Amino acid sequence: MTENGTAIIELKSITKSYFRGSEQLDVLTNLDLSAPEGAFEALMGPSGSGKSTLLNLIAGLDRPTSGQIRVAGSDLVSMGEADRAKWRSNTVGFIFQTYNLMPVLTALENVELPLLLTKLSSAERKEHARVALRVVGLEDRGNHYPRQLSGGQEQRVAIARAIVTDPKIIVADEPTGDLDRKSADEILELLVRLNTEFKKTIFMVTHDPAAAERATIIRRLDKGTLQ
Amino acid sequence: MTIVGIGLRNAWRNKIRAVLTLIGVAVAVIAFLFLRTILSAWTTGADNAAKDRLATRHKVTFVMSLPLRYVDHIRTIPGVKAASYANWFGAKNPNAEDQFFATIAVDSKTFLDVSDETVVPPDQKEHWLGDRRGAIIGDHLAKQFGWKVGDKVTLEGSIYPGDWEFVIDGIYTAARRSVDRSTFFFHWDYMNESLSAAQKDRVGWVMTRIDDPSHAADIAKRIDDSFADQETQTLTMSERAMNTSFLGMFSAILKAMNYVSIVILVIMGLILGNTIAMGVRERTHEYGVLRAIGFKPKHLVAFILGEAVLIGAIGGLVGVLVAVPFINQGVGRYLEENMSGFFPYFRVAPHDAILAGLLALGLAALVAAIPAYQASKLNTIDALRRVG
Repeated sequence: MTENGTAIIELKSITKSYFRGSEQLDVLTNLDLSAPEGAFEALMGPSGSGKSTLLNLIAGLDRPTSGQIRVAGSDLVSMGEADRAKWRSNTVGFIFQTYNLMPVLTALENVELPLLLTKLSSAERKEHARVALRVVGLEDRGNHYPRQLSGGQEQRVAIARAIVTDPKIIVADEPTGDLDRKSADEILELLVRLNTEFKKTIFMVTHDPAAAERATIIRRLDKGTLQ
Repeated sequence: MTIVGIGLRNAWRNKIRAVLTLIGVAVAVIAFLFLRTILSAWTTGADNAAKDRLATRHKVTFVMSLPLRYVDHIRTIPGVKAASYANWFGAKNPNAEDQFFATIAVDSKTFLDVSDETVVPPDQKEHWLGDRRGAIIGDHLAKQFGWKVGDKVTLEGSIYPGDWEFVIDGIYTAARRSVDRSTFFFHWDYMNESLSAAQKDRVGWVMTRIDDPSHAADIAKRIDDSFADQETQTLTMSERAMNTSFLGMFSAILKAMNYVSIVILVIMGLILGNTIAMGVRERTHEYGVLRAIGFKPKHLVAFILGEAVLIGAIGGLVGVLVAVPFINQGVGRYLEENMSGFFPYFRVAPHDAILAGLLALGLAALVAAIPAYQASKLNTIDALRRVG
């Protein structure tokens, strides 16, 4: 393997097809991928190339039509839906393009949300959430609701939510897609820091070449095949 | 912060919709309680009937009368402690013809012994027993027409035509809430002596007090058997059965009210179900996010049911808190004073109030079950793609 020598993400002969009526659409075809632990990977490609489908497979949200997926030591293909949900809550942090914070919860509560699935006490959950907000530089915005935050701040809260359970992998789907350049740079800086300082493996889908440049590995996907 | 707590916060997300839904639920609860109270007021006479009292009437129908001599015969039947008799008189106040009240000719010597829940002050009772044209009236009727003891009143007979003059000798109250406090009682003799020979000495029904309620069926059979070979045969039943058979005339109305109360519940369910379904549809994307970060279908069900139950509980509580004083202190008092013949006791029964609250809660959970189930079956990726 590369870098640390251990692959945290391993996909072998992955095919993912959808059916529209009797028509079969092959989104990913016989795809192999291996990503080392601690990597910051950027996945680029045109719309419809299968980037999000690949991300969903790596994050355990979807299953391939055929092939094997092993992420953080777990065989995702053989796992049932409930086991994959539990696996996701322990292993993967999600960052979405549109932040996806719950509007009825404060920033601190949004960050605390994934911890509801753990056995931590309320006080412990709050403390963990505060620490995560401190990491993203928003400790003083804990009581603000999403509508009271800028786009960049909302995405930083979303990143705090993604790291609060201390996952091994962070998957980011166009994390800067809705942000201005300055805010996007701040978010990318934060992702680099999470990768270098906190040793998180990051798998990021992006259209933005400037964002991809921050990654240590850039992959390109076209018509369901890695170039 | 808890999973159900988040569901509760979601309930207030669209405040206008939440408030309108709450009002809808509360109004439905008020309407439901109002109908339930009408039904319970209507049947309160039957529900609270004396267990040691029988009523004997003509076997064919209570419109047909019995010979007066039957009364003395009934008094001789073992198990009978006392018997009294009465006729429905059916008169109106010519000054207020549209205001119904019962007018009944009773055997004054025995009536108050058999109907001991009718309470008349001793001096007024004494006076009435000695006054041929005397009448005793319920306190609600007295208030309705402004009649006082000593007033002379003229009623217009319908079954027994003509102007009938009376003197108000007493005003009765009730020892039991089932008693109609707007009835006009007067001497049966006064009526009887004014009738033609063909109409004389006929009674509408005989009320009998018995010594042991557990033998009511046997005594009733003994009474009826004793007249079996007579030209006019009788039908004897418990007072409760008689009141119920009287209510049978209104059974269509009562059934209709029952159906309307069910319709109200259905409407309440639809209002709630629509609100919950809209909320779930709007939050599909959020549910996708929650599923992505590890929440399970059962957690989504808890979110949605928590929200629905909160709306149902608050709406139900508001409805009950408004309905009880509105009915008990407002409409109920008015009806008791002005329509006591139909509604002698018009108050929300505690079990109806509890039932209404529980129904609001239960229906909320029931109607939320479908969107909750649908949310639990959402495909995470499809939900994440859904916007708004």
